[in-house]
Amino acid sequence: MTAIIETQGLTRLYKDNRAVDGLDLDIQSGELFGLVGPDGAGKTTTLRLLAGLLFISEGSATVAEFDLASQSEAIKPNIGYMAQQFSLYAELSVLENLLFFADIYDVKKDKLQERVDRLLTFAGLTEFKDRRAAHLSGGMQKKLALSCTLIHQPPLLLLDEPTTGVDPVSRREFWNILTELHMEGTTIIVSTPYMDEADRCSRVGLMYEGKLVICDTPKNIRAQLKGDLIEVFPDDWQAAHQLAQTLPGVLEVQTYGETLHLFVDDGAKQLKAIEKSFNKNGISISSIRAAPTRMEEAFISLIRRLEDETSAK
Amino acid sequence: MSFRHIWAVTRKELNHIIRDRSTLILVLLTPTALLLLMAYALTADLKNVPIAVLDYDRSALSRSFVSQITAGGDLELYAQVDTFDELEDLLMHGKVKAALVIDPAFSSDLMALRGLPLQIIIDGTEPESGGFAVDHIAWRAEEFVNRALEDQIQAMGSMTSLQPIDLRVRTWYNPSLKPRVDLIPGLISMVLGFPALSVALTLAHEREHGTLEQLMATPIGRAELLLGKMIPYVLVGLVNVIVIPILAMIWFKIPFNGNPILFFFLSAIFLFAILSMGILIGVFMKTQAAALALSFLLIFFPGFFLTGIFFPIASMPEIMRLEALGLPGTHYAIITRGVFLTAIGLDVLWPYAVMLVLLGFAFTGVAALFFRKKLG
Amino acid sequence: MSPIYLYTIFTCLPKSITMLRRIIAIAQKEFIHLRNDWWMPAFMLFGGVLELLLVGWATSRPITNLPIMVWDQDQSAASREIVTTLINTDTFVIEDYVSDMDTIEDALDRGDINVAVIIPPDYSEKIADPSGQPTLPIILNGAESIPALAALRAIEGVTRDLGERITLQRLGMSPDEFESFIPSLRVWFNEALNEALYTTPAELGLMLEFTVLLFASLSLSREKELGTLEQLLVMPFSSLEIIIGKAIPVIIIGFVDFVLMLSMVNIAFDVPIRGSLLLLLILAFGYLLVELGKGMVISVISRTQHQAFLLVMLVGMVDFMFTGYAAPVEGMPKAAQFFANIVPAHHWLEIVRGILLKGAGLDVLWPHVLALAILGTIIGTFSLRYVRRALD
Repeated sequence: MTAIIETQGLTRLYKDNRAVDGLDLDIQSGELFGLVGPDGAGKTTTLRLLAGLLFISEGSATVAEFDLASQSEAIKPNIGYMAQQFSLYAELSVLENLLFFADIYDVKKDKLQERVDRLLTFAGLTEFKDRRAAHLSGGMQKKLALSCTLIHQPPLLLLDEPTTGVDPVSRREFWNILTELHMEGTTIIVSTPYMDEADRCSRVGLMYEGKLVICDTPKNIRAQLKGDLIEVFPDDWQAAHQLAQTLPGVLEVQTYGETLHLFVDDGAKQLKAIEKSFNKNGISISSIRAAPTRMEEAFISLIRRLEDETSAK
Repeated sequence: MSFRHIWAVTRKELNHIIRDRSTLILVLLTPTALLLLMAYALTADLKNVPIAVLDYDRSALSRSFVSQITAGGDLELYAQVDTFDELEDLLMHGKVKAALVIDPAFSSDLMALRGLPLQIIIDGTEPESGGFAVDHIAWRAEEFVNRALEDQIQAMGSMTSLQPIDLRVRTWYNPSLKPRVDLIPGLISMVLGFPALSVALTLAHEREHGTLEQLMATPIGRAELLLGKMIPYVLVGLVNVIVIPILAMIWFKIPFNGNPILFFFLSAIFLFAILSMGILIGVFMKTQAAALALSFLLIFFPGFFLTGIFFPIASMPEIMRLEALGLPGTHYAIITRGVFLTAIGLDVLWPYAVMLVLLGFAFTGVAALFFRKKLG
Repeated sequence: MSPIYLYTIFTCLPKSITMLRRIIAIAQKEFIHLRNDWWMPAFMLFGGVLELLLVGWATSRPITNLPIMVWDQDQSAASREIVTTLINTDTFVIEDYVSDMDTIEDALDRGDINVAVIIPPDYSEKIADPSGQPTLPIILNGAESIPALAALRAIEGVTRDLGERITLQRLGMSPDEFESFIPSLRVWFNEALNEALYTTPAELGLMLEFTVLLFASLSLSREKELGTLEQLLVMPFSSLEIIIGKAIPVIIIGFVDFVLMLSMVNIAFDVPIRGSLLLLLILAFGYLLVELGKGMVISVISRTQHQAFLLVMLVGMVDFMFTGYAAPVEGMPKAAQFFANIVPAHHWLEIVRGILLKGAGLDVLWPHVLALAILGTIIGTFSLRYVRRALD
């Protein structure tokens, strides 16, 4: 395996704000890499930097074996970049958008027809090929945008929150496509606010205030979370929340809608104890159970720790 | 430079223009509408300029003089007043553009050929009407006294003519010296440059709609993108290059003495030059609103005032003469007038064509140089 | 100016506190927007001033330096005298002395010269002859009629003066004995016939119109095009609040622009302010509201900024043609003259010129002020209704 992206201290400043701050990233060819982090953490800036859309303030990077600072134009034929907001031509039809990018990427004429047909089928847009992009649903627009970045079969895909604002069914379809591409050997870097999506990546990088704070496989990241998870569905959410924080053995309390997620030192031992404590204090709960930890909990726990560190400073 | 890339951008822009029907109609019709408006308003012959007369003489001679002045409909006697105050009032209110004050000694002086005690007062805020009135009155007055003067000169035994220098004025290309004959070709040169204002918006349009980000991530060349964006507007402009001269010939009876193919060819070069100016503005402006305001200031107003259509460039200050050379409209105005009226060919017009080509490449070159495929 | 605005604001007084807060919120948003896109307000504020300065400086001057070609076949003191007199008018500069017709024809064809003067070989001889009348052939380049007319005027003036002197000489009279038969001329309001005095006030007025129209027309069309208007409409703002909030930056920038341009015209071109400055500013404010109303209607009609801009061009140019700036209204057909009366800019220019140059007050200008008020009310009512309906 060879590195398709290597960055050393990659930094981007906006005035005094370090949007991306000393990023050291190595991504191997064939990875499906997820970039997560709260809003404003620098995910979009990172992807734009890697796509050659921004000047580098400090540091250096190599993308697809070209230097990012001096050869950014040489990188472009080798990547497919999909911006966060819809950025296709709304007044052009699906097919016209595809053909436009095929021309810009110099797709060979003899391969064009076959590739367009394949992408249309792939994205499920064949029957909408003459519809104007403006009149497509949000999910279809995203799939069209992805198809346009795939028209030249780039070895590297940079996708900036491709599933934001898309319904769950389309989201699933979209990820099926990504997985398929990943299987075919395309390197994919995708930023996402959804933790279930991060779980599907081969490696995940968590960004916080411009820095890459953790970069590992989902399994290892989950393992970093101390303790076991107990899910509680209380009837009086507020009282339950207050009580839970005072219970012995509870390391962390997270709220998730009407449910409480409690991290405890020993799940098997504490489940009964906690249930008892709730009953004793007259807080009725409709159910309580041990659950496997997911990226979501690990992520929130990590961010909370980072926030505490920052405010302590 | 790849033609496939340029053509892809051109096709996309054309689709964009053609699908937005109302904008397309506006883009196509605005130059024609502007030409009609300006041609009518700017070349209307002055008629019925209102004047006031204060006749202190009240003689038969003064009355016949007044009626001669107002005959023919060029000047219209708005009021005959009795006091200077009334006259002042009329000028102040803008009711009359000029006033004629006839001295009490008018008829006696004139009979004795002692002089012409007349005073013309004009409203200096509208000197065009005022100047017209002055010329007209002076011309009538001259006619009025000349006959009497000639008799006196003969009586003195001299054979001299009252006007010893016999001015023989011939006007080429526009024998009646009607402003519309040359102003309309001049205005055509201005309105044909109009698509430049639209092209200035296209880059900012992509920026505002976020499509430029996607485009920047592709391997498209900078010059390819800029040229691809200009070509559709060259095509739109060429539609008007055909329509507008025909309109001028049929509607305004402007002669077209030169070679239409040459005109078409030179117009295409002009469109390239002026659109380059538009695209240059587009490169620097982030929003359509800013691009609009700037192209207004850099293309529209200078195209109107500083290209020599109305005010001769020779009379401008040195620096402005240089500035005018940098405006494609200056060279194209010479070409339109030359082709329409003087029927000159490429042997004379080539320096202007070369200037247009140079300006076009200079503007596009600078635009491509400063256009970065970067977001910030 | 237009009472409808005041009226609407007035009747809403009870709930006006919350309304005011909301209006300020929208206006604030607009200003933040302008700060981020600072080019736009910069052009609106200073572009007009700069443009006016340039155009005024370049074109508000007498026509001079017209290239002239002389073919002096006589080469005498008399022929040189007439050429010198022509040059001394400042209207002409000698392009070249030539000795054949081909060069002249070629230069005229090329447009290198505006005038050619051909002095015949017997010119001085005929001048010396007491009954002689030499011809003086002049060729004008009619392909540029404005300089050609200026040239003709200058040449006629020179030959008339020269002719008068020659006649007197031949009659053996001294100039003192001879009364001129040219009527005396007085120019009011602009004694020196300074071009800048009549062009720049009008250009100032027109620049204000274009600035306000363009700015106002983009206010809503921009949000429509970018899809942000929907968001604004679902927020708890009434359409009136949106309109007023959007109008405030236009009014402020338009008004400051006017004051800047007025100062510039006053300082750089010596355009006097003979009437009441306060009255001018009040009326400028009123006129601004009228154009604002028009701009808002354009803004609502247009789907994109491009469309709004093209409509501004059309509307603005129609106004421009009927203001009397480009061509006197008297020369137009009766229907056009009537139409000119319903163009607000026409009255506005009369007011600007009246106050600046004539020192006129309300007693003189009231018909124009009244017309502007009536038109303003009509346009204001219509645009407010139209825009509100379109927004609701």
